[in-house]
Amino acid sequence: MNTLVGQIKLEFKLFLREKEALFWTLAFPVFMIVLFGLLWKDETWDGIPTIAYLLPGIIVMAVMTTCIVSTATGVVEEREKGIFRRLSLTPLKRKTLIGWQIVNRYLTVLAQTTILIAIGMAFFGAAIDGNLLLFWAVLTLGTISFLALGFALAALIKNEKSAHPLSMIVFFTLMFLGGCFFPIDQMPEFLCPVCEALPSLHLNDALRMIAVEEVGIIEVWREIPVLLGWLAGCSILAVKFFRWE
Amino acid sequence: MNAVVEVKGLTKRYGDVMAANEVSFDIEKGEIFGLLGPNGAGKTTTVELIEGLRKPDSGFIKVCGIDTSDGIDKVKELIGVQLQTTTLYDKIRIGEAIDLFGGYYRKSLPTAQILGGVSLSDKKDSFVEALSGGQRQRLALALALVNDPEILFLDEPTTGLDPQARRNVWDIVERLRERGKTIILTTHYMEEAERLCDRIGIMDQGKIIALDAPRDLIAKQNLESAIELITSNGVSKEFFHKLPNVSNVTQDGDRFILHTKETSPVLTQLTHLSESGDLDLKSISVRKATLEDVFLELTGKKLRE
Repeated sequence: MNTLVGQIKLEFKLFLREKEALFWTLAFPVFMIVLFGLLWKDETWDGIPTIAYLLPGIIVMAVMTTCIVSTATGVVEEREKGIFRRLSLTPLKRKTLIGWQIVNRYLTVLAQTTILIAIGMAFFGAAIDGNLLLFWAVLTLGTISFLALGFALAALIKNEKSAHPLSMIVFFTLMFLGGCFFPIDQMPEFLCPVCEALPSLHLNDALRMIAVEEVGIIEVWREIPVLLGWLAGCSILAVKFFRWE
Repeated sequence: MNAVVEVKGLTKRYGDVMAANEVSFDIEKGEIFGLLGPNGAGKTTTVELIEGLRKPDSGFIKVCGIDTSDGIDKVKELIGVQLQTTTLYDKIRIGEAIDLFGGYYRKSLPTAQILGGVSLSDKKDSFVEALSGGQRQRLALALALVNDPEILFLDEPTTGLDPQARRNVWDIVERLRERGKTIILTTHYMEEAERLCDRIGIMDQGKIIALDAPRDLIAKQNLESAIELITSNGVSKEFFHKLPNVSNVTQDGDRFILHTKETSPVLTQLTHLSESGDLDLKSISVRKATLEDVFLELTGKKLRE
């Protein structure tokens, strides 16, 4: 147990020392909410306060940086540098190692979300009006799906050099086509089927429905299958192609 | 016999290459055992099979009486491994890395003691990325020592280090010897093997071709001394082979090495040949035979080719 706490503390310290990761996971989302907050503080969009609409999108973006970009680049780096190989000579179990990584990223996601909601509520009048527990449950499912995607990418990406650019392409695609910042009905029509297939779109829709429309689990339910599908598909890819060295 | 490592008939094949071919040896407690050979001889493969990093195609390995094929988890608590290259996170501090690794074992030594043992106490708060090559190698050694292992594996511990850093590593290994640790090291530096090892297995093409104490390896090959000479009149290998008391000749262009048990009669003959004009000697030197000569004798190859 001491080892577990020590490991999590150390991973957190290492995370704080990686300036680029820190920028994307924390500074960038905070910058976005402050920017949008200042721009559209008192505006509404279709009767919804603009910032209330944007807050879930910014949270989803932040979750994706942690689960997709930093997982894919981190795992590929650990593999290519031989850190996994060195660790495999110690009694540390591989399952435990991956477990810690998942716990760590989940804690990061919770921290990101808390900070973004706090800033949005304190300064810009945003709110999560619906069921907080449901919001958390759906966010957790989204996090796990994105983590599976991050590990699948790590398994498929060949080397350290391409890990960052490739995961950034995936990230930006999911962010822009997944409706983090603007509704997808503003997209060209031919892109709509693509958007509909993305997990980010359904997570955004689900979180917005809970936060803004205060809907319950029954209305949110139709957003869940796509998330589960991505979770299943990416998990299979990750397990099938994962390499330790 | 008090063998802490028993290896029998170890075989590992990669495609057409036999990386380890029927390798067998025992290592006793407190011994420093060296595997010496050129790159690609199978040294690293052999130690990685014992460490459990790779699975053998056939053969068995026992470490401290535990069969590694079903008890590798127990074995991991008892061994410490320094890999040829150890890379860590760039932004981790030395002290943190030692703490981290210590946490993986059921028992571990205090971080300060570990760092003192490899002369890195003053680097405790430095980042890994700020270390020199020699310091990195000592950190790798420190990570191998966190669990106070019964058996320490050092894979090419001084490759790529400058002479000063190499001597530092040798000093640490000798201190560990005094503490009674069993050490298995691979190297392609014969000075290193001669200085540190109690026994040496010479490897070539996946096989152990000779195994003995360094002194005995040299004595058994009848190689008391080596006469190195350079000529300029294009004589052949056979020219020297015909001389009495010369046991072996190797040639590298105009450079010849004559191996002999009787140094002075051979020198006398060479002087005569030189005076009579049959041999144009540009330089000549005599030295004690080394493991390098043994290797050359056994395989016809140089260690560092």
